[in-house]
Amino acid sequence: MKPFIRVIGAEFLKIRHSGFFWATFIAFGLAPVIGAVFILIIRDGDALAQAGALATKARAMNFEPTWKSYVGMLTQAVGVGGVMVFGFVASWVFGREYSDGTAKDLLSLPASRTTILNAKFILYAIWSVLLVLSNLLLGLLLGAVLQLPATDGASLTSPLADYLITTVLTILAGVPIAFFALWGKGYLTPLGFVALTLVFSQIVAAAGFGAYFPWAIPGLYSSVGGDYKLQLTVYSYAVLLLTSLAGYVATLQYWNRADQT
Amino acid sequence: MEIIKTEDLTKRFGSALAADRISIHVNLGEIYGFLGLNGAGKTTVIRLLLAMIKPESGTISLFGKPLSPQFRNWNDIGYLVETPYSYPNLSVYENLKVIYRLRGLDQPDAIDTIIEELKLTKYKHKKAGTLSLGNRQRLGLAKALMHRPRLLILDEPINGLDPEGIVEVRELLTSLAASGSTIFLSSHILGEISRLAHRVAIIHEGRLIKELTRAELSEQISRKIIVQTTDNQAAVQHLLRADYPAALAGPETIEVTGQEAQDRPELISKLLAEHGLPPRQIFLTTEDLEMYFLRTINESKP
Repeated sequence: MKPFIRVIGAEFLKIRHSGFFWATFIAFGLAPVIGAVFILIIRDGDALAQAGALATKARAMNFEPTWKSYVGMLTQAVGVGGVMVFGFVASWVFGREYSDGTAKDLLSLPASRTTILNAKFILYAIWSVLLVLSNLLLGLLLGAVLQLPATDGASLTSPLADYLITTVLTILAGVPIAFFALWGKGYLTPLGFVALTLVFSQIVAAAGFGAYFPWAIPGLYSSVGGDYKLQLTVYSYAVLLLTSLAGYVATLQYWNRADQT
Repeated sequence: MEIIKTEDLTKRFGSALAADRISIHVNLGEIYGFLGLNGAGKTTVIRLLLAMIKPESGTISLFGKPLSPQFRNWNDIGYLVETPYSYPNLSVYENLKVIYRLRGLDQPDAIDTIIEELKLTKYKHKKAGTLSLGNRQRLGLAKALMHRPRLLILDEPINGLDPEGIVEVRELLTSLAASGSTIFLSSHILGEISRLAHRVAIIHEGRLIKELTRAELSEQISRKIIVQTTDNQAAVQHLLRADYPAALAGPETIEVTGQEAQDRPELISKLLAEHGLPPRQIFLTTEDLEMYFLRTINESKP
């Protein structure tokens, strides 16, 4: 266990002084800020009348100035925006070794290649969890500042559970990106893959098959634009889990077997 | 004891044969120079030795153990493959700390010691992305040497170093070999290899075309006496009559080969002076390594 912890320590050391690390928090942190703006607009009739597109968006989301609605919006940000931001994180964690030219330093070490990849997957998961936790904290702070009506803890249990489950689903959806980073030897291929998943999520969901498209499932679970969670069946979760597992196995197999030229 | 042993190592990339039945044996404490032009197959062999790529056929053993997925002696090996890169956002110290952790080392002063040895103290807290090419090379060498490996596999280790850095690295490698480390060193800079290596192998188009000791290399380098007189045509005739292998090597120059000419060039001067053609110039020239290398490659062509 100790060698594995050391390898994880090395992975965490690599993100030190990284501008990208903080950029992901700023990008992801836009969601609670936009939610706070929605609250201000909805509360103020005049502002609502003047806000145009923002007001239309807030109405389309059935947004209300309540804790439940606010946490629901943060959940949707994880289910949709998370597929993109977590995808960027995975692209960076796995692709940077090629972009920085350091991949060869990881190949002939006492720490096995599988250990190094597992450490990277753990970094990816922890980084993603930190992103959703920071958004939640920022949301709680902004909600408190905006004096959202007090609510009992029980009524927030379900939205918070949805928030955490959406996080897990989104993290799982990002696992196969690791394979594309190694296969494409850099950032571009995985980023292209992330863009494709976002486009196809829209198309496939519009065609009515979103419940079986792995990268649409977190968005549907977070109930973007309606109560789409009900579309998800046990097969939906199985598809997502299998896709994630296939991505993990493909990543390990590729890294262990392919020629590293 | 053989530290590196390969038998008929072969590797193809598509239709290109990058390594063609390479068999090399490197002994304990030896500095083994691996010479070749760019694209000759040096880096392919190095990547094979480090299990970064898999051979089509042939075997590799390191420290007497077959190189397989079960091979566990990676902390006995330090390596530098092609241009060394580091994490640009991390300092020199942090980059070494990453490798320290990945290697699972437990020698707290290892990082500071190697920073000092490679004269990187001034740059210890500088980000690797801001280092000069030479200092990046030093950092790459520091990563390879930090854990005091028994075997060093270095691909063009002096690339980008200034003359002072070259001397330092040469001394460092010589002292490592003297203390029992084995060094496998690739380069296209022949002068450097000839200074350092105990044995030299020449690779060309994926094939090992020659393997020789430093003494054999020295013997095989051709030497000639170069003579200039007021009438070179006539001088050649006189030299040939005296059984010197002489020939015109241009309108102004006569080349005289043969051991006797090299051992006693004053006899050539005397002979020509007796025939009224005292040399305007006479000197011994030694083929440089580049010329030797190209000659060897050309001789190996079918």
